[in-house]
Amino acid sequence: MAVAAVHSGGIADHIHPEPQGFIRKYVFSIDHKIIGIQYMITAGIFMLLAGALAEMIRAQLMRANGGFMTPDTFNTVFTMHGSTMVWLVIIPLLTGGFGNLVMPVQIGARDVAFPWLNMIAFWIFPVSGLMLYSSFLMGAPAAGWTEYPPMSLQGAPGTSMWCAAIFLVGVGSTMTGMNFLVTILKMRAPGMTFTRMPLFVWGQFVTAPLLMIATTALGAALAALFVQREFGVPFFDPTKGGSPLLWQHMFWFYSHPAVYIMILPAFGMISEIFPTFGRKPIFGYKMIAFSSCAIAILGFMVWAHHMFTSGMAPQLQLPFMVLTMLIAIPTGVKIFSWMATLWGGVLTFSTAMLYSVGFLALFTLGGITGVFLAAVPFDLHAHGTYFIVAHFHYVIAGGSLMGALAGLYFWFPKMTGRMLNETWGKWSFWLYFIGMNGTFLPMHWLGLWGMPRRIAVYDPQFQTWNQIESVFSLVMTAGIILTFVNVLVSMKRGKKSGHNPWDARTLEWQIPSPMPYYNFKHIPSVFATPYDFAEPLPYRGLEEELTDSPPPVPAAH
Amino acid sequence: MAVASVTQAGIVGRHHEEPDQLYVETRELRVQGFLLFMVSDLVLFSSFIFAYLYLRNTGQGWPPPGAPKLDLALAAINSVILFGSGATMHFALENWKHEKFMKFAGWMVSTIVLGAMFLSGQIVEYGKLAVGWGSSGIFGAGFFTLTGMHGFHVFCGIIYLTILLLQAAQGKYTFQKYTGLTLGTLYWHFVDVIWVVLFSIFYLI
Repeated sequence: MAVAAVHSGGIADHIHPEPQGFIRKYVFSIDHKIIGIQYMITAGIFMLLAGALAEMIRAQLMRANGGFMTPDTFNTVFTMHGSTMVWLVIIPLLTGGFGNLVMPVQIGARDVAFPWLNMIAFWIFPVSGLMLYSSFLMGAPAAGWTEYPPMSLQGAPGTSMWCAAIFLVGVGSTMTGMNFLVTILKMRAPGMTFTRMPLFVWGQFVTAPLLMIATTALGAALAALFVQREFGVPFFDPTKGGSPLLWQHMFWFYSHPAVYIMILPAFGMISEIFPTFGRKPIFGYKMIAFSSCAIAILGFMVWAHHMFTSGMAPQLQLPFMVLTMLIAIPTGVKIFSWMATLWGGVLTFSTAMLYSVGFLALFTLGGITGVFLAAVPFDLHAHGTYFIVAHFHYVIAGGSLMGALAGLYFWFPKMTGRMLNETWGKWSFWLYFIGMNGTFLPMHWLGLWGMPRRIAVYDPQFQTWNQIESVFSLVMTAGIILTFVNVLVSMKRGKKSGHNPWDARTLEWQIPSPMPYYNFKHIPSVFATPYDFAEPLPYRGLEEELTDSPPPVPAAH
Repeated sequence: MAVASVTQAGIVGRHHEEPDQLYVETRELRVQGFLLFMVSDLVLFSSFIFAYLYLRNTGQGWPPPGAPKLDLALAAINSVILFGSGATMHFALENWKHEKFMKFAGWMVSTIVLGAMFLSGQIVEYGKLAVGWGSSGIFGAGFFTLTGMHGFHVFCGIIYLTILLLQAAQGKYTFQKYTGLTLGTLYWHFVDVIWVVLFSIFYLI
């Protein structure tokens, strides 16, 4: 075949021999699909831990005059909840997890560019997670996930462990970013031009440089905090010439792009799910792809909007405010493109679709409060209140996590060859959706009334709403637990899915489920974007994938 | 030398191996991946350079009161040594491309020696400053952190180049397939370039 000849002997045809034995197959695997699932399982375990911490927070806040925890314990609990959710759940789940599982197959490759690096990057992750939780043994960090000095300088010894753990998890993220970037640049199947890549690949492609650049900058900040705490190097100590503001600059230079690390892959997932369940081409393919790039670039120029009240140079406030508001434009482009995709489509409300629609609604809300907060006068009022908590939980729990759950219900058949139970799935969606809104919606007005965040006891006038929130948080947790149970049960007992239960058109659905270790018997060639539902599939060379023909022969070396 | 002559024979034995498609594509991947690694390393240095410049401009004047005086002459000599090692590294790779193993080995050894001389110069400078990392205030936070990080990179580079030289002597690379040597050269030049920036911000401005 002419197409095969193009790549004969090249890296696209290079196949690792099939891994033998449990250890090489499932523990120290270099197969991107197994690594992706490993990321998801590990992140799932950390999510249960972080969820337990969240329920402890809500239990404490049932009573205005303090619940069962001392304020010091309460501080460590919300610090660990935030750190875990950001670094050990959302980022690994969306990049390492779904990115590894789906992205290489969607570009028609047999693996990522550096499979060994991929394995090392994964194994750093559970180790650093254990390090983070081990800080409970030596006095856990208590200054919030942002760890502002001088509080973090006075924190218990576990704060240094926090620095080391987050630094390590960042090293893994950096490796993943480099790996994905090279993979997408160099390993695409013949004919898969940039404007034919599935939008999930675009999401990963834009996220990878953020992972690489921003995470390294965070590494520098963490190293500086670590050496200040352990060796007294006064980066952040104003009595010796240092500056606490320096930490905020260094930290937010990472952590604002990190917000986009947590949402861009979810944007990609939604862009796959809407056309599939609407049976319509995605509206504005190029606009969705390029607006992701715009968001990523702008994302590096807006970090100081977290610092309007910090005492930084006032003349910088206006440019940061304007740049931040500019981000609403590419984001709005996406939201309207998705709505136009759904408009007039033949919608099937499967669980994945429900989560995606939920994403669209809740993320839009969180995005709009983000524009509020970008405005300096409003931010001066709302900074440090529950309004902030409401805003970022709508973006992360309503956006990123809902995206991840949509992705889970969408790609679970590809991972296991079995369907998740749709009835339970729909229950889990409604519980999660109602619980999420019940928990975080009242925080908007609590914040505007002046309830400060990160406090263990509060003014009794806020107690009723806090009790309502705590009850709804249990509903939300029930939804999450139902999904966990669904996964555990369906893994063994779920209905067989076949290779393409959703009748989707990207490459991963054209090969058997679960995917074989070599992905493709022959590397396909690609002729168009995967979203033209009226046309035949735009691939050639996939004829043998679902037949019994023998698997490809591994390379000799 | 016994090792070298054995090696020469070993290399001559595989002299006519043509780079195949897999090698060409793998080389591209590895070089690109390595460049990205250097980008992220550059971000690490840039973050600390930002921190240093930020602290320098917080209004207390620079150098801060009580900071030791840096030795410009020593640092200038040291810089020449390091830039010289960049040149010798370049000659080493060029000689490899022209299939001259002994010359390659000679230039590699001089690169490693020059790198070690640079590190010794740094240690002499640290000794003359005679202040601690933690006790010298924001001077130490900027100067020792950044030059220390750079020195650590040089130290790793010396080990890296030594390993590459030994691998080359054992015949791991051929005159047609030498991606590892290319990456080592890239790394060494990167460390050089970082020093240009550090020298400027600590000694010149």
